[in-house]
Amino acid sequence: MPFTLLLDGEPCEIEILARQPRLLLAVNGRTYLVEPKAGDGVVRIDGETVAFARAEIGETQFLRIAGRTHVAQQARQGGAGGGGGSGVNAVKAPMPGLVIRVHKQAGEAVVRGEAVITIESMKLQMALNAPRDGVIATLLAEEGGSFDKDAVLALLVSLEGE
Amino acid sequence: MNNPAFSKVLIANRGEIACRVIRTLDAMGIASAAVHHPAEAAARHVRMAGEAVAIHGDTPVAAYLDGAQIIAAAKATGAEAIHPGYGFLSENAGFARAVIEAGLTFIGPDHATIALMGDKISARTFAAAIGVPVAPSVLPTEDLAAFTARAGKIGFPLLIKAAAGGGGKGMIIVRHADELQAAATRAASEALRYFRDGRIYAETYVDAPRHIEVQVLGDGEGGVIHLHERECSVQRRFQKIIEEAPAPDLPPSLREEICAAALRIAMAARYRNAGTVEFILGADGRFFFLEMNTRLQVEHPVTEMITGIDLVRAQIEIAAGAALPAALLAPRISGHAIECRICAEDPARDFLPESGRIGRLAFPTAPWLRFEHGLTEGQAITADFDPMLAKLVSHGPDRETAINCMIEALKQLTLLGVTTNIDYLIRVLDHPAFRAGDLHTGFVSAHGAALALPPTGRQARDHAAILAALGCREFAELVFAMPEPYASMGFWRN
Repeated sequence: MPFTLLLDGEPCEIEILARQPRLLLAVNGRTYLVEPKAGDGVVRIDGETVAFARAEIGETQFLRIAGRTHVAQQARQGGAGGGGGSGVNAVKAPMPGLVIRVHKQAGEAVVRGEAVITIESMKLQMALNAPRDGVIATLLAEEGGSFDKDAVLALLVSLEGE
Repeated sequence: MNNPAFSKVLIANRGEIACRVIRTLDAMGIASAAVHHPAEAAARHVRMAGEAVAIHGDTPVAAYLDGAQIIAAAKATGAEAIHPGYGFLSENAGFARAVIEAGLTFIGPDHATIALMGDKISARTFAAAIGVPVAPSVLPTEDLAAFTARAGKIGFPLLIKAAAGGGGKGMIIVRHADELQAAATRAASEALRYFRDGRIYAETYVDAPRHIEVQVLGDGEGGVIHLHERECSVQRRFQKIIEEAPAPDLPPSLREEICAAALRIAMAARYRNAGTVEFILGADGRFFFLEMNTRLQVEHPVTEMITGIDLVRAQIEIAAGAALPAALLAPRISGHAIECRICAEDPARDFLPESGRIGRLAFPTAPWLRFEHGLTEGQAITADFDPMLAKLVSHGPDRETAINCMIEALKQLTLLGVTTNIDYLIRVLDHPAFRAGDLHTGFVSAHGAALALPPTGRQARDHAAILAALGCREFAELVFAMPEPYASMGFWRN
């Protein structure tokens, strides 16, 4: 089974065709002869020396090759359908910033599109709206607090009786 | 000066500028004291300083804005003076006064000068009174008939803004006299709706202006010099990302006129300290005073590179009571310098700030380069502070060389673990319009499509995919699972 990763947001399939006597890989069907241990910070691909730098932050790899930065993540097994649709229950931060105001408290009902939290980032204020009708189950934001990109600031549950 | 100006200086700042100031203090034989929020106890500026004092606040930024705590820290460490850097308290007249009242020296201008230049209206009135061009304007009013009569006399194009406005709401550009009445009516009604204040004002609109600024130094006794101009036209979100000195292709007579206007302001204000007078310059050669920044500027290194003058040293010597050193009186320009601001942001998402962690940092070094930063590997990059991470500065005998050196240096700069604008900066520098010096403050949006991330070539993409796969533990295990003599496991397990 090929190994799948997301490179700069696009899926790539990598397959090991041979390990012996030399490493032969296929990337989206194209084959490459790879010497993975050509040196520190260097690999050789089809005889060409490729210098690189790598950093791993959480599940994300940052790679710098030939003056260009790439971001890679290992693709999740199973794909869509998992996760129980938690994305739509979450009010997530589109960028890092500060919480300016919390408009809804835990237990309060909201309708889709209603402002739950106002955040500020780069001196710009922005309302984060409820992704659907529901009740605020958990409020993770507090006024004055800071958060990172993609942080979940509030979680919704469905209205009772629906 | 033979004796050090001060025995110890406290830096009321953080990040790259705190490190920059400490470097000069070290060179002058002056002890340094840093302040830091507890979240930054391991920061580079803390490690570089001779000693450090923790300051507290509801947020990290609030700590660096707490003048009373900072003055107390200076007293506790025995510092004789405070260097404010830029941002935070650097242009806070109340802080400057409090420092003096505490018996310390503020390495900056007199607090009255800060207050004068800190208010847009008073600064503008001051400049106009001494004959420095300011954009013709109509002061805020609710009287539409009087407004249109006066606005019509200024000429077109004209920019109408809400007096209470901000963020571009209620702003209208009027290009012809016959549009004025309707535009003023609409602007006033929008102003009322958005800001509950129907007053509007108007000023001359400069199409695609250049941002030109002049570095000045004053000794507070009327002695004032300028250290030539900088061009800071390449901006995004109204903030500069690339600055250079001198400004490319500025006609000598216009350059002289702009520098003379800046000197006139500094002289009239009996300015003390390093300061920057900012102008906008229209394509027709008309220029207008924008504002004066009464502090060290982020982009000061480009001026240092072309003049050989250490502006922080000059600030400290002036604050210690020195007259302008004779060596500074006729500074000559040597070559061309460019600065790029390295920011944690995603150019593909309208330059929104990014967070992450500095997983790997490696930067090129050369006599013609400066990398100004306050970073350490492992440091978290959060929304607590400004997204500017570092500055890269290059110097060359001419502009083309400085550009090429900068592109090469940016390619070698490795700052991984957070999305940055490094690759974007390379595309800007390599754009034909940038190389031609065809600059204006709308450069980034005007060339938006050409500056977008070009698709990677298939082979480069595949190479990146191979490296990314080898960097994944799961894949590396598949590759190196065989007990072969050369397949020792350690290397890929970062």
